[in-house]
Amino acid sequence: MSRKSAFSVGLLVLGAYILAAILSSFITPYSPTGLVGRPLDDPSEAHLLGTNDLGQDIFSRLLYGTRATLIIGLLGALLSVSVSTFVGLVSAYYGGGIDEVITRSVDVMMTIPTFPLLLVLTIFFAPSIFVISGLMGVLGGTQGIRIIRSQVLSLVEANFVYGAKAIGAGDLRIMTRHILPNVLPLATVKFVFAAQRYMLMGVGLGFLGLGDPSVVDWGQMISRAYYNGGFALGLWWWLIPPGIAVTLLSVALALLGYGLEEEIDPRLKRSAAI
Amino acid sequence: MNAEYLMRRVFYSLLAFMVSVTLTFVLLHLMPGDYLHSILPYLAEKNPDAARMFREQFGLNRSISEQYFLYMANVIRGNWGYSFLYGQPVLAIIGEKLRWTLVILFPSTVLSIIIGMAVGAYSGWKNGSKTDLSVLNFMIFVGAVPSYWWAMLFILIFGFHLNLFPLGGYVSIDALENGVCIFDVLRHAALPIAALTISSVPGTYYLMRNSTLQTTGEEYVLTARSKGLTEMEVLRHHALKNAMLPMVTVIALELAQMITGSVFVETIFSWPGLGLLTFEALRVRDLPLLQGIFLIDTLMVILANIAADFSYPLIDPRVKVGENV
Repeated sequence: MSRKSAFSVGLLVLGAYILAAILSSFITPYSPTGLVGRPLDDPSEAHLLGTNDLGQDIFSRLLYGTRATLIIGLLGALLSVSVSTFVGLVSAYYGGGIDEVITRSVDVMMTIPTFPLLLVLTIFFAPSIFVISGLMGVLGGTQGIRIIRSQVLSLVEANFVYGAKAIGAGDLRIMTRHILPNVLPLATVKFVFAAQRYMLMGVGLGFLGLGDPSVVDWGQMISRAYYNGGFALGLWWWLIPPGIAVTLLSVALALLGYGLEEEIDPRLKRSAAI
Repeated sequence: MNAEYLMRRVFYSLLAFMVSVTLTFVLLHLMPGDYLHSILPYLAEKNPDAARMFREQFGLNRSISEQYFLYMANVIRGNWGYSFLYGQPVLAIIGEKLRWTLVILFPSTVLSIIIGMAVGAYSGWKNGSKTDLSVLNFMIFVGAVPSYWWAMLFILIFGFHLNLFPLGGYVSIDALENGVCIFDVLRHAALPIAALTISSVPGTYYLMRNSTLQTTGEEYVLTARSKGLTEMEVLRHHALKNAMLPMVTVIALELAQMITGSVFVETIFSWPGLGLLTFEALRVRDLPLLQGIFLIDTLMVILANIAADFSYPLIDPRVKVGENV
């Protein structure tokens, strides 16, 4: 698949998921938490994917679950990219003491494994999708600081920045009007890959029992199907759909990021058919 | 090797370790509810004396700062406290579980490095060809599937439907009579290792592919070609060695990701390692045990980084530690 078609396919699938998330209440007549049928019903016309052990409609849970997963992934990614862009920009632009402190702190932070820390923090703050995405954003943000910083470092020495300084532009103006637009493409690619990672992690937390108990999410669905009989009884329509849903969304985001990469690195364009 | 550089690395590692000790300590102690409350919810009201004795024994009645310094001193002395859940020294439990984690972590790391490097080198070398593109697309797909889903699919297909491997655990029930047999353990370890490997291969693959791509433009490759060597010889003797250099640091960084993966894989396969222990400790809020696990995770990552730093000059004679590193 070429980068261009990867980009279109990724965007198309992501769009479909966003539509499903927005329109889920119109697509399915059942509430995702309501007890709407006999427990463990097989797929039928009334219940497209059957019902789970509580008699909840699996198809509507699947549709509503899109919301939590998308929010966690996109919000977490937005936060982490904002953090790393802001800190990286300030660090590289001002240099000196600030840069030294930030770089050293990042060095130290990088050696601390984030996932175990995320588990503890999630328990500590009580799991809610906004808390989880906030935590992932802040913890994951440190990883990107270096990349943004090195990009900005080369921009600070650019002629147009010297030019802007010469005509008396302030630091804030230079950073937001001259440097930021040049960092944004890189930040966008980082955003897409971060969204993929956090979305998988959010579903993973749900599976480990650290999901937001007040929302329907795929991780909790998988966990429920796995531990409450969907697996042992071979009820594939209970266990498989949420897994497929996660995987497909993750593949779509990966393709999207892969397609976007070309835009920021023109060297990739030249390298033959890719 | 440069002594100053070595000292600086050790100092930063020590600092990182101290920060993680502080961080986990603060966080774990700010957690809602103390241990007494979670195992014996009404003890404090029913029997204040017993509750007081309990708190004294576990040091829960002391001030936070006192507990912190006590903990710091103990960590350095190797006394990582007692687990609430198991009632045993944390370090002893971790030591035992760490062994089991390494049983699956070590083979899957080695496998993913070998597979990732071999396929990545080939793909990068044949850059732009049909093979390269289809392998790349395949790896994007493999990398996008979460580790827990691989684990579950493996159980479902190979354990449940084909009945080739056990569904979980680390030994069969007859180990009670016959003792633990190494082949039995390996049979149980096969699926967790496969799941961990498959979810970490794409990472190694991408980097190796990029690294090989870069060497194809180098002049020594051109020289080797002009000498009339076959493509395979150029790749094996000239390009590959140079492409492998950056992988050393990457492999160290990948360890943190493997630890994450092992939490899911071990939980799903009920493999008695650190990952499953993390899950159990979280559920019952076993503070000392959790602190121990975080510390050991951090230590592993730190050690891997230092090892990478110091093995680099051994592999690449052009780099001397302390000069421009």
